[in-house]
Amino acid sequence: MSQPPRPAPIDGPIVSIEGVSKLYGSVAAVSDVTLEVRRGEVLGLLGPNGSGKTTLLRMLTGYLSPTSGRLSVDGHDTERDRMAARRRIGYVPESLPLYSHMRVSEFLRFMARLRGLDAAASDAAVAEVALQVGLGDRLAAPIRTLSRGYRQRVAIGQALVHRPDILVLDEPTNGLDPRQIIETRNFIRGLAGQRTVIMSSHILGEVEKVADRVAILLQGRLLSVQSLADTPDLEALFLSLT
Amino acid sequence: MRALRVLLRKELHATFTSPIAYAVAAVFLLVTGYTFSLTLFFTKVANLTYIFHQMYVLLILLVPVLTMRAFAEERRADTLELLLTAPVGEVWIVLAKFLAALVLVTCLLAASGAYAVILGLYGQPDWTPIYGGYLALFLLSCLLVAIGTLASSLTENQVVAATCSLGACLMLWFADSASYMVPAPLDALVIGLSLIGHFTTFVSGSLFMSDAGYYLTLTMLALFLTTRVVTDR
Repeated sequence: MSQPPRPAPIDGPIVSIEGVSKLYGSVAAVSDVTLEVRRGEVLGLLGPNGSGKTTLLRMLTGYLSPTSGRLSVDGHDTERDRMAARRRIGYVPESLPLYSHMRVSEFLRFMARLRGLDAAASDAAVAEVALQVGLGDRLAAPIRTLSRGYRQRVAIGQALVHRPDILVLDEPTNGLDPRQIIETRNFIRGLAGQRTVIMSSHILGEVEKVADRVAILLQGRLLSVQSLADTPDLEALFLSLT
Repeated sequence: MRALRVLLRKELHATFTSPIAYAVAAVFLLVTGYTFSLTLFFTKVANLTYIFHQMYVLLILLVPVLTMRAFAEERRADTLELLLTAPVGEVWIVLAKFLAALVLVTCLLAASGAYAVILGLYGQPDWTPIYGGYLALFLLSCLLVAIGTLASSLTENQVVAATCSLGACLMLWFADSASYMVPAPLDALVIGLSLIGHFTTFVSGSLFMSDAGYYLTLTMLALFLTTRVVTDR
């Protein structure tokens, strides 16, 4: 009989990735990655397109299963105890998938209910998250009428609506105009300390401005994990590793 | 069950706000209404057997159109990623899509119940084949919707999903024809797979558990396979 999962100590890593690989046929999208993410920090996954960032995030959120290795979220294994692990994560995929036929409030309420909130709690959570991400005046708008910037706010809103411990953002500034990029950066920085944020980017400057630590990936392999406070020149480090 | 309720509400909203649903409903009711009026006018017999056989063909042709969006659209729009990273089991996602499409088809069958009501008002029909016919159509709908949902889970292209689903349903319809090419005792198995063979007994007013079991078993098999496809990532 298997033992119930043991919760992680409060000061331990909130995310633990141990020897994780993902193979598609004989091609390794992610190869033997081991990484820990601390509670309350902003971790940037940096790497060129095709380096395995999205695959790693998808395994963490439970969308993909690892070929080998183990991932746990707050002590809950993402495969054996996947529902508990998923409840602790809010996820914004790169493509900002939204139900275009719904109104913003309808969509946020649906996502809140889907993640276990009851009707009254969902209404309160939608009102709260709408204020947080700046959607207060767009709640009644059909999603199909929104600009890219507002669609991104809705996508972040749905990820936060159930008040998760961890926010996972895949290329959060892709396709945004300069003002929206700055707003998104400030928003992510504002979450530091309250929530653990894991974001991926292929833009070095983005990670440098937002993250506390950076994990550099190349061809599915984790090359380095560095605190940005101890890395005065991220560009030089990146070039030396790749 | 709470997750199923939430998902089902979302699926019903998507189904009943889609123009596809209304196009399919219009075609179904127009064609069956036309045939009902014509048959009654010429034969003057209070009988729905013709209509049931026509509905059988129409459901085989139209249900793949209703179910093609189920998973294919979610895959195309990447929204499946939202559902599959939420703390809900894949089986509830599959069941919600299955039930939403089944509710729509059941509404179509219920609307066609007007023909039976008209026969009851102006004639003295034998009700046993009518009840049997509707039961058969409901069980057939379960199976067709389950096959359509399975086909939709295999692709992100709706047309491919509809085509595969239609092909599978047609193959099941004509399965008994292949029995001539299969040696005994396998021929009995092939005949047993035939959709029409299990349908006509119901419409004639003979209700057999084996016929109901055929539809329910294949429906559960298709739903099980759909769940496997969605889970296997």
